[in-house]
Amino acid sequence: MKRFKWYWLASFLPLLLSTGVGLYLNYASTRNPILYVRADLGTAFILCGAALTILLMLLLGIFETWDYAKRSQVDLLIQASEDHRRFMQRLDHELKNPLTAILAGLANLKEVNASDENKDVLQSVEDEVRRLSRLVSDLRKLSDLETRPLEKSKVNLTEVIDDALSLAKELPEADTREFIITVPRAPWPLAEISADRDLIFLALHNLLSNAVKFTTPGDTIEIRAFEDNQRITIEVADTGPGIPESEVPHVWEELYRGVGARGIPGSGLGLALVKSIITKHNGEINIRSRENLGTVVTVRLPIS
Amino acid sequence: MKMNKKTCVLLVDDEPAIIQNLAPFLERAGFMVVTGNNGIEALQRIVSDRPDLVVMDVLMPKMDGREAVRELRQAGNWIPIILLTQVGEASERAMALEEGADDYLNKPFDPHELVARIRAVLRRAKPGQPPITMAWKIASGNLTLDRRARRAYLDDKEIILTPKAFLLLEYLITHPEELVTRDRLLDVVWGWDYPVGTRAVDTRIAELRRVLKEDPTNPRFIETIPGQGYRFIGKLEIA
Repeated sequence: MKRFKWYWLASFLPLLLSTGVGLYLNYASTRNPILYVRADLGTAFILCGAALTILLMLLLGIFETWDYAKRSQVDLLIQASEDHRRFMQRLDHELKNPLTAILAGLANLKEVNASDENKDVLQSVEDEVRRLSRLVSDLRKLSDLETRPLEKSKVNLTEVIDDALSLAKELPEADTREFIITVPRAPWPLAEISADRDLIFLALHNLLSNAVKFTTPGDTIEIRAFEDNQRITIEVADTGPGIPESEVPHVWEELYRGVGARGIPGSGLGLALVKSIITKHNGEINIRSRENLGTVVTVRLPIS
Repeated sequence: MKMNKKTCVLLVDDEPAIIQNLAPFLERAGFMVVTGNNGIEALQRIVSDRPDLVVMDVLMPKMDGREAVRELRQAGNWIPIILLTQVGEASERAMALEEGADDYLNKPFDPHELVARIRAVLRRAKPGQPPITMAWKIASGNLTLDRRARRAYLDDKEIILTPKAFLLLEYLITHPEELVTRDRLLDVVWGWDYPVGTRAVDTRIAELRRVLKEDPTNPRFIETIPGQGYRFIGKLEIA
């Protein structure tokens, strides 16, 4: 698999040159009393050339090994993310059939076995199955996002932010939170960006509904956007309980649920999905959080 | 449909648990059910049991659902077929229709939804005629849909639709006179539940109506059923 590289030939150059000079010194010139000295001089030249060649080969060898190691590391990373994607797809596939069967079975049981006592049990089982279905659906979203091309159009982010916010305000817990929105209108509004509107909307919706879910009555949720250079920055901030420092690096991982997330409904895929969407748009996303003070998620999207 | 005889549904899936649980459910819904485990068995059963409709999984050993559909249609058999798809991708789902299925449902699904689909397909199907989902060119008034080229024309002038808007229009027009719920349309366009559901569908429909120069209060093509969904009401001509 290792192909021969042309620059290996170059390492023979010193040897060739020195052999030429050496042989010339040894044989081409006329004989005279200092013949031995010349002969030795010629040999010395050849030896020097050989040493230089060996040195060059060694250096090239080291360079190649290092380069190969670096490249195989990149290959491994690509391979790993490919494996990961396929794993998610398989998991989705493997879960679909049993879920279909369970849903049908439950529907049967509900019609046949309708005593009050059983009803509660059946209902709770059904709730759990629906939760699993949602998880499968979220898994599909994630793997779908990897393969589906973005459907780009000119997107007015001010509008998307307004829409996402008004949807977040419809959440049952939203009545007891205070919302602040800061989006520039003067001297000019946010520039339009080329993006998949539905996906950007989905990302903002996930961030806002997270903010609502993880805060408590009386907390403030702020969404602000501004232009800086060739990017638009959108921040979703809240005065919620914050995320422990040790958990912050993991929040983007699939199925990761922090300690504070226990008891709060969710699949653990929301932020992974947001990250995937933003990354696909060549954007950046990061999160800062302080325990007992709150959390801010920053999204940066390129304008062109 | 014959009133004196129960409608016979052929249920084909390689997963025994699905047959075991879905067959009794369909029976309770009033159908007679026969079953099969793969495409080859499906073809045999269609000859021997003469079912009125086939519900078939796509991924199966020996012969998969898509291949079975293709074979039936090539032989000029227009029995109504609902495919149970596994694939989320929109293009794959559209392919299920193009290959000759009357409708499809993504796994996992609510069994009540399957019964609703079966009834809708039976209502729409005309015995001995290819399903409308197989028509490459569909016209309604001054609107023409070229499904193979994924293009739409209004008064012979091409109208520009986003791929998603085209999918929506295509699904509505191939399910004429049928109330299509917003959830169903979401499933068609996205293949997964888009959390902001109804609103996303409404936006797309509004966009579609603008392009079709439709007056929402007096629609020629797409009618709104408040609180439920949409229905294609234009008269169809199949080219």
